[in-house]
This record gives sequence, C-alpha cells and structure tokens, in this order.
Amino acid sequence: MNPMQANLRALAAALLCAVLSVVIVSLPVYHFEANVYTKRSGNTFVGDERYQAARQEVDALAADYSARGIETETTEEVIERTNSKGEKTSLVVFRVNKEIRCSGWDFLRTGFPSGKVLIGMLALEAAALLLAALGCLGSGNTLWRDVKGASRALRNGAIALSVAALAAAVVFILYTNVIINRQISLYATGIAPSPGEKVLSAADALIYQGAGGQDTAQLLKSTVSSVIPLWWLQIPALLGLTVCLIAVRDGHVAHGLQRGLMYLAVIVMCVVILYPFVIMFISAFRTDADATDVNFQYMVPVTWMWENLSYILGRGVLKYLLNSLILSAGATCLALLCGIPAAYAMARMRFKGRKLFMGFVIMSQMFSPVVLLVGISRLMINLRLNDTLLGLVFVNAAFNQAFAIWLLRGTFVSISPEMEQAACIDGCNSVTALIRVLLPMAAPGIVTTLIFVFINSWNEYTISTVLINSDSNRPITVGLTQFAAFSMIQWNYLFASSLLATIPVVILFMFIEKHLVSGLTSGGVKG
Amino acid sequence: MNQILVRHKWEPYLWLLPSVLLMGVFVVYPVCIVFKLSFSEISRSGVVGSLNGLDNYITAVTAPEFGSVMLNTLIWVVSVVGISTLLGFVAALLLNAEFFGRKVARSIMVFPWAATLVVQASVWKYIINYEYGALNNTLLNLGVISQSVNWRATYVIDFIWECGIGIFVTIPFVTFCVLAGLQSIDVSYYEAATVDGADFWKKLKHLTLPLVRPSLTVSTVLNIIYVFNSFPIIYTITRGAPAHKTDTLVTYLYMLAFSEQRKGPATALSVVGFLILCVCAGIYMMVTMRKEGEEA
Repeated sequence: MNPMQANLRALAAALLCAVLSVVIVSLPVYHFEANVYTKRSGNTFVGDERYQAARQEVDALAADYSARGIETETTEEVIERTNSKGEKTSLVVFRVNKEIRCSGWDFLRTGFPSGKVLIGMLALEAAALLLAALGCLGSGNTLWRDVKGASRALRNGAIALSVAALAAAVVFILYTNVIINRQISLYATGIAPSPGEKVLSAADALIYQGAGGQDTAQLLKSTVSSVIPLWWLQIPALLGLTVCLIAVRDGHVAHGLQRGLMYLAVIVMCVVILYPFVIMFISAFRTDADATDVNFQYMVPVTWMWENLSYILGRGVLKYLLNSLILSAGATCLALLCGIPAAYAMARMRFKGRKLFMGFVIMSQMFSPVVLLVGISRLMINLRLNDTLLGLVFVNAAFNQAFAIWLLRGTFVSISPEMEQAACIDGCNSVTALIRVLLPMAAPGIVTTLIFVFINSWNEYTISTVLINSDSNRPITVGLTQFAAFSMIQWNYLFASSLLATIPVVILFMFIEKHLVSGLTSGGVKG
Repeated sequence: MNQILVRHKWEPYLWLLPSVLLMGVFVVYPVCIVFKLSFSEISRSGVVGSLNGLDNYITAVTAPEFGSVMLNTLIWVVSVVGISTLLGFVAALLLNAEFFGRKVARSIMVFPWAATLVVQASVWKYIINYEYGALNNTLLNLGVISQSVNWRATYVIDFIWECGIGIFVTIPFVTFCVLAGLQSIDVSYYEAATVDGADFWKKLKHLTLPLVRPSLTVSTVLNIIYVFNSFPIIYTITRGAPAHKTDTLVTYLYMLAFSEQRKGPATALSVVGFLILCVCAGIYMMVTMRKEGEEA
C-alpha cells in the first residue's frame, strides 16, 4: 500500500470515529425523572370511594399542569399488607411524574450550562480532523518517517486536539452531574444553596419547555437525573479518533492502535496511582462538616480551608515534624558512619570471615523490627532509652545498616581501586585512601544511601508507636494519628498533616529513584 | 586485583567494628531477648518469671484464632507478592517503552513507594468509607453509580481491600527493579530477534524474561520479607477486627503483646515468625551466594 492510500484510509477512519461521536451526541443520553406530586391514600382499596376521590384529585392536578403546558404521567402503586389483627389493608400511592430523555442537542438548544463543554468537544474534534487533513496536504504521498516540518507539527497537533476532545467528554459528565444536577436536586430537597437563576431557567427550558416559571424549583423536587451509560460510548469513539490520528502520523493503523492502547494504559495507571494522593490533597482542605458530608455534594471543597494547615501546625504537628527531622538525620548519620567503613572493608579487603559477615548482613535484612518489638522495647527500658528520640535513632540506624552496607558496597565495588592503590603506594594509609580518594568518587552512591536511610527512618511507624509515650517526643508518623482516634477521625486535619509528612519524602525519592534501583539490583545480584 | 594493601591482619575487623557493635546491640541482642522471653513466664504487668518450657508456644498455637491468622498470613503474602510482581512487571514493560511524558509517568510511579504506609492506609480507609467516602463521592458524581455502595460489607471484603492496598504500595518496588534490569539489556538482542522474525510474545518469553530474572528474584525475595512484616495497612484499616479475623501474624502478635498484654504467647509467635523468615533468608542466601560463586 502506498503512503497516499495509507494516509487517506487513516483519515477516513478518523472521520468515521468523529461521525460516530456526533451520532452519540444525538442519542437520548440524558435521563431526567422529576416527581411533581405524590398522593398517598391510606386504607384504600382499588375502586372504592377513597380511591375514586384520590384519583380525581390527582387527575385534576395533572390536568392543571397540562393546561400550563407540562405534560405529566401518572402512575399508581398498590401496597397490600395483612396487619397484626389479620385484617387486610391496602395503601394506594399515586405519583405524578415528569420524565424526559434528552440528547446532547437539547442541552445546546436550551442553553443548559454544560452545553458549552459539548460545543467545545465537537469543535475540538472538527479542528483535529482539519489539522490532520492539512498535515496530509502536499505531504500525503510521503512515507510517514520522512514527514517533517509543518506537516508533522500539524499531525501532532491533531492528536493533541483529539485527546483534548476526549477530556472534554469526561468533563461534560462531571460538569453536568456535579455542578448542575446534584446541585438542583440537593437544592430542591433543601440541602444545598440555590444553584442560581441561570441554571434554574435553563433546567426549566430543558425539562418543562419553559412552563415551570417561578415554580421550577418546586417542580424539580426529588428530581432523579443521570447520564445513562450510553454516553460512555463517547470514550471508545474518541479513543478511536485519537488512534486513527496517530495512524495518520505514523503510517500504520496497527502501530497507531498499539500506541493508543499504550497511552490508555499509562493514563489509567497514572490516574489510579494519583487518585489516593489527590483525595488526600483535596480532603486536607475541607471544612469539618464537608469532610464527612453524607450527601456527597461536592467533589472539591466548597471553600478551600487553607487555614487547616496553620491549625494543625498549632496542634503540635510542627514539633512532630521537627522530631522526625532530628531522628531521621541522626539515624542517617549514624548508619553512614558505621556503614561506610564496613562497606569499605567488604569491597576492598580480603579477610577471614568476610563471607560470614556478608551472610550476616543479608540475614539481618530479614529481621523486622515488628517481630522483635517486645525485645527492642525491653532493651530500651534496660538502656534507659525508652521514650527518647535517641533510642529511635539507634534502632533506625541499626535496622538500616544492612541496606546501607549493601548499597555502599555496590557503589564501592563499581569504582576501580587503582586510584586508591596508587595513593597507597604514595604513602597514604587506608583511612586517607578512603577519605581522600574513594569517598569523593562515590559521592552519588553515598547521597543515594543517605536519602534512602533518611526516608526509611522518616517513614518508620511501628517502633515509634511502641517506644514513644510522651507527646513531645513523637515523630510525625505517630503524631498524625492523634487526628485518627478509632471512634472519631478528623479526616481534614489528618490529611493536612499527612500532606506535610509526605511531600518532602516524595520529592527526595524522585531525586534518587534512578540511582537507588540500579544500586539495589547490582548490590543484590552481586550479593 | 580488586583490593588494597592491608598493613595488619586485624585491620579489616577494626573497619567492621562500629557496624557490628551497632547491629549486635540493637538487632542481635533483641533477638536473644525474644528467644529467652518466649520460654519464660511473663505476668500481665510485664514481670519476667521463671522458665516454663514450651508453655507459651502451646498457648499461642492452641489459641482459637491461630489457624485463621496463619491462613491470613499465607494469603496476604502470596497474593500481595504474586499479584504485585505480575502487575509491576507489566508496568515496567510499559514504562520502558518510549513515549511522550515517560519521565512524568515514572515520577508518578514513585509516589506509593515513597509515601508513608500509615498515611496511605488512612487515605484508603477514607476512600472506601460507606457514609462519606471518596470512592462513592467520585462514582456518584461521575454518574457511574446512582446510590452509595457499601464497599466494606463483610470482613472478607475488608481483607481483600487490605490485600489490594498492599499490592498498590508494593508494585513500584517491583517495577523499578525490573526497569533497572530492562535498561541493562542490550538493544541489539532485540534487533537481532526482530530480524529473525520473533513477535512480541516470543521476545518476551525468550529474551526479556530470562534477562530480567535476576532482578525479579531480588525483588520477589525482598518483597516476601517486607510484605510478611508489613504492619501499618492492616493495623490502620481494621486492627484485625472482628476477633482477629483479618489479622496477619505480625499484627496479631502486636495486638497480643501491646493491647492484650499477653507478652508470653506474643514472644513465642515472634520466634515462629522469625523462623519462617529465616527459611526465606536461607533460600535467598543460597541464591545470592551461588550467584557470587558463578561470578568468581
């Protein structure tokens, strides 16, 4: 197949996807059901006097609405029960409902606010197609690898626009559901503040064809509305568009499909990973009531409570952070002071018992502080280090020894010993060889180890809960649980302090991630 | 020649001394204490009495919840390590491919690894809450569900969530270990395989898997140890409730020792856990030492 044909085919497929997307917009994707009036008639059997009276009342109401231009539907439900005396009772419920299904075009027609997002989505799709077509003009007969300059930029732009259209499809649902429907229904039930005149009149136009007037808010009472799953078909349609546009850029449809799937997988992965962290961030700045709101009114806080941060700092979190800093810095220094000489000996010297020590280092990685907690707490009481930061420094340094030696040894082994050997011939002893020659060269590895031990100590939770009793000595991991008493959890404060505990380590970790892994595996594989 | 001149025979031992001292006092000595205590009578107030043989072990093993705790531990370790190894491997393959924004994706992958477990467990506890949880909130507002779902209906589901969260926080470690292995593979292997007409699956089976096996071994063994010892997730979300039905060995012995004040059986269980880990350690050492032997 020549490049022209391939390009044209991919373009045609992209056009097809866009048309599909427009078709989905035209389908009745939105479902409103408003309960206008409910009449419960107790002790009523179908056909008796009470039933007739209730029926007349409801019919009159429906006729009344009908006269105003609001067509309704009346349903009746009969609930029969046998009471404790063995008599049969019956309850008849009449419901006057207004049900409507509307397509995307109805949103545009009635000026419903989320309609703008819909226009945006369609415009993005059209623009993407246009750019892709322009990108093929004049270069349509060129093999995709050789497409350069403006044509390539245009084709790339088309892909970006189609991804934006995909995002708009999701935003449309969010915007409609969150800002409009939930707000209207919560307003109608008296929970949320008014959604505003504009939204109400748009809803009136959409559901009651403008006949609701002043009563719209009343009429919208117990509205149930939702995007029906049909709308989600937009996602595959728009993904298809993106894939086709990638195919336009890269030549092969299969290749485009592969790339598209890969991006989809990466995006899904990132969204899942980031979700808890986003929730943590959002919830940290909610008000007390908002954080435990059973009506799920808002996905993001109504008012961002930035002062939550200063509040928790006043509740001792600043002190906890400082404690964590002291303890992690202390443990890191101690671990390196003991670890560097040991790693040096392991990497550069031959001696009896070297293998034994190596085995011990590997073994000690298996000792978890949790399993040894009883022993450690007893030891600490004996040493009078119980409930002190110094005790935690020692324990953290000791339990990170294995990893430190392991990582450092890996670094030292990867550096050629020739320089040190030369220095030794020049009269250096092994101490000066280490300090003057090896350490500067091993700096990246040492920094990695340093940060890793620091993060481990910072994140340590179990030993600290057992060893630390007094509030003034708590590290942050233990301190933040004061907001999480088992019965009453102050989520917003808990997450605000979690945020402060997490941000520094995540940033530090990003710096060393690359070095750490190669250190880990090289150290590990080489034993 | 990968060594430097040593003046005295005892010099290497001097270099090792600080490290040995530190680990001796704070790692080995507690092990001894735990061993001794496991054979002693300990009162509720913590006073150590006389040796009582295997009494503590018998009390611990015959406790009604012991069986379910051991089963939970097995399920916990196998499911978390197994599934996270599989998913981590797939994620590594994904992050090893070239695409726009790969650096950002890799940085995001670091998050669950770096953040404290207590914090992550608390966030998940909030997310899966029935009354006001974030998952219900998100799904309701996205229009996926129309009514709140009780995500924590029974303790079995609770335990599944805990395993899921365990997997979530374990994946990045596997991913980065495998990524390191993948990056050290020479591209020319793949080019040769492509010339020979191998498809994706063949390359995966005959090239990628054998070449990253060492990284996978390291990450799997280390993960077995970490996951076995993992404490904050279960402690934060259920505390083993109801009646130790969601406890693993580690959280169970913590509850025994520090909330029920039954340190005798707790130390006996510590020794049991310790022995289980020693078996893993032994296997691991055999693997690594054999590697070293091959290299030398």
